[in-house]
Amino acid sequence: MSERPFWNPYVAGVVLGLVLLGSFLVMGFGLGSSGGVTRFAVAGAHLFAPKAVETNAYFSQYFGPGKHVLEDWLVFEVLGVFLGGVLGAYSAGRLKLGIEKGPRVTTARRLALAVVGGIFMGFAARLARGCTSGQALTGGAALSLGSWVFMMAVFTGGYLVAPLVRREWR
Amino acid sequence: MAVTLPLYTHDLFGTYAGLLVGTLVGIAFGFVLERAGFGRARNLAAQFYLTDTRVLKVMFSAIVTALVGMTLLSGIGVLDLAQITVPETFLWPQLVGGLLLGAGFIVSGYCPGTGVVAIASGNLDGIAAIGGVMLGSLAFGFGYGPLEGFYKSGGMGVARIDRLLGVPMAVVAAAVVAMAVGAFLGGEKLEAIFAPRAGETAPASPPRVKARVFGGFAAIAALALAALALPTRGAATPARTAQTIGPLELARELVTAPETLWIVDLRPGAAAAKERIPGAMVTPPGDARAAFAAGLNPTRRLVAYGASGAADLPDGVRKFPGDVYVLEGGFEGWTSAVLTAPVPPANPTPDVVARFQLASALHARFTGAAVAAPVEIRPVVSVPTGPRKGGGC
Repeated sequence: MSERPFWNPYVAGVVLGLVLLGSFLVMGFGLGSSGGVTRFAVAGAHLFAPKAVETNAYFSQYFGPGKHVLEDWLVFEVLGVFLGGVLGAYSAGRLKLGIEKGPRVTTARRLALAVVGGIFMGFAARLARGCTSGQALTGGAALSLGSWVFMMAVFTGGYLVAPLVRREWR
Repeated sequence: MAVTLPLYTHDLFGTYAGLLVGTLVGIAFGFVLERAGFGRARNLAAQFYLTDTRVLKVMFSAIVTALVGMTLLSGIGVLDLAQITVPETFLWPQLVGGLLLGAGFIVSGYCPGTGVVAIASGNLDGIAAIGGVMLGSLAFGFGYGPLEGFYKSGGMGVARIDRLLGVPMAVVAAAVVAMAVGAFLGGEKLEAIFAPRAGETAPASPPRVKARVFGGFAAIAALALAALALPTRGAATPARTAQTIGPLELARELVTAPETLWIVDLRPGAAAAKERIPGAMVTPPGDARAAFAAGLNPTRRLVAYGASGAADLPDGVRKFPGDVYVLEGGFEGWTSAVLTAPVPPANPTPDVVARFQLASALHARFTGAAVAAPVEIRPVVSVPTGPRKGGGC
């Protein structure tokens, strides 16, 4: 089966905006990603060191009487993102194993860089109280000053570092 | 027209229905991200080499769509903006977090949401990126101690740009539309320069699509501006002044986020001068009273209190452009809930004990008294609570 083309970016943006608007109109808040991913990480760490996680000054907010770290709107939303991604990739004939990288970088190096970049993002998203979804998209649409500062900083950080990792992509 | 949105205010969703809605919203989100091409790192990285500014186009179109949609719906009185959760602003950690996240984005090739879509599409580098995000989140939590000061710096509470500028939301929305279209056209110009240099064809959008999308944005923004003239706008505002805040909730906010509050003592000068809630402002007498709150920075919430019960809000407080709360029970409520030592619960369940511990910690904080001895919890069936309200990414 041949691959379906991607949507025109402006059209995709409008549809994404309607999903975001729908979330605001139904639940009163927008989208998120890193918060859900963090909760999965905390639940994983809790299996190995429950005391250390529960007494941690930052993670303790996820625990308490009647609370479960995974019983959270964002966790289910992120599970939905995964399901929606599978649905999208499958129905477009794009569901296949692969590694995205430029022609001049080895697979091992690309995977190592993906982990390193991910660590930066995980740390940064907690520091900023959200990522491109929860801050840039959601807070951007809600006209939050901090979210707009965050969004401009994301693009700045990306452009500053892009020349250093050119070999990974080009 | 009656305010009917957002829907959650009608108590339609229990815990599990809410989680189901979350899953459905997520499915739509993930599907669109995949169709936008965001499951592939090279499509995302191209933004930073300017060969394809797809990230900019999708993100800003999405922001503009949701923004003009909310602006118009609230303009015609269908949506109550006060019920929408706006992420709070903490300027410095958000600036530094943004720079770090942008750096991580180009190095890993994904952001957290698109990384999940990459995994869903079968891209193994997505697993590596999301694994990294998990490690980074844990690193933040375990390094939180020394970071806490910076994490809470630059706190401004809910700082909406339209309120900071003191202009209607529709005006800012129209400006954002103009800015976004400018950025789109600029991005296309840059693609036309950088894509051929990299031996690629610049991605062209059909003029018909662009005309419809840009024209649609402009049309909705214009309608939202026109809605400013509607009389329903004025009618929707007074309902907002009815919000209340409990004394314990206020005490907790005073400890954790004093920078997000204005506290106004409405009692006569002598009573307020004798004793008042820490940080409270005394209202000036006479004509100045009507004007003073209108001059306060509206990004904070204003909490007003009288001697007891619901105080009559003077005009000056009503004119405050931000959110206004009335303290339940007034100063008497504050005295009995915070300044009086809480009584240890007779029948301690985890919930009751948690409330008692909070009350006694706040009592100690505001009076200097010793914290009450801990209460032993006897095993009881725990009551499940609803999902935490609020965004956060």
